[in-house]
Amino acid sequence: MSIPCSKCSESLVLFIDNEIDDSATFNEVAFHLQDCPGCRGEMESQRAALNLMRSLLTRSCCESAPSSLQEQIALRLAQIASQEMAATSQSEIITQYRRTEITIDGQTSIEVETSHEIRRDLPS
Amino acid sequence: MAITLDLMPTEISNQGSRDAGGLVRVDRERESAAQRRKRFEGDALQYMNQLYSAALRYTKNPADAQDLVQDTFAKAYVSFHQFEPGTNLKAWLYRILTTTFINTYRKNQRRPQQSDQELEDWQIAEASSHTSDQGKSAEDVVLENLSDSDIKRALAETPEEFRIAVYLADVEGFSYKEIAEIVGVPTGTVMSRLHRGRKQLREKLTDYARELGYVQGDKK
Repeated sequence: MSIPCSKCSESLVLFIDNEIDDSATFNEVAFHLQDCPGCRGEMESQRAALNLMRSLLTRSCCESAPSSLQEQIALRLAQIASQEMAATSQSEIITQYRRTEITIDGQTSIEVETSHEIRRDLPS
Repeated sequence: MAITLDLMPTEISNQGSRDAGGLVRVDRERESAAQRRKRFEGDALQYMNQLYSAALRYTKNPADAQDLVQDTFAKAYVSFHQFEPGTNLKAWLYRILTTTFINTYRKNQRRPQQSDQELEDWQIAEASSHTSDQGKSAEDVVLENLSDSDIKRALAETPEEFRIAVYLADVEGFSYKEIAEIVGVPTGTVMSRLHRGRKQLREKLTDYARELGYVQGDKK
């Protein structure tokens, strides 16, 4: 056995929670569990206890949000959205282009002049 | 002869864009407020029941839980443009829920009786010899007989920091790292809280089972 039982025991919770990121450590624990019936029994027992706890908790803690809450949230979001709309329309930016079309003696040329950006303040 | 045409306005732009819907990739810079709202409603609101259930565990009463969830969605909506699409939205919402709870709702509540200790503390405590039985013990069987309200009561009586860690790990299935980010503490602290929380919860459940006559004899 590569690691002592005490070291395996230290990592047991992490092993059960699948939280051992380091593959070398994971392998050490996994190999030890394969070889050591005592640690394996301990791991299985702890894992069973944890799975039971999880199933009890998920079974019990599954309330649905009341419809009044859903309505309140929809209302709140609508309020925030309309405030945002009001805020953004205060600083509307208009980009203006000027195009000049000139026709002289049957020949047409088009000139595009500089564009202007206008920031227009609107009442909210 | 000259004809001058004034073409104005060629483009009126707010901060968002006028891109047509049906975007596969979310361009948050050019997304309009209406598009963002639609995306929020489609992506975030599906977690309402889960967040409400968590809020009930956090606050321990329905009125505060409803306020907490409402505040959470309001905050999330306001900063939704900061959320990076494709990353973990559920964890992001839980982070807002948890920090809102910690900063606002628990101010009037008692502090947990126990503070965090070093991780080594429980690791050493756990590094004992092989003592336990194998497979499903008689105790496990009787715990299954406990009612939902007993389970919720045991969780409610577990100190807040432990309760939150256990809930996030064992009900919501978040990893230690995700819980650390949600709660805003180091991963080692999460491990410590989780371990203590699970232990206390199990002890409480066993106590209840004993009170109800499901278990006879001494505590394990």
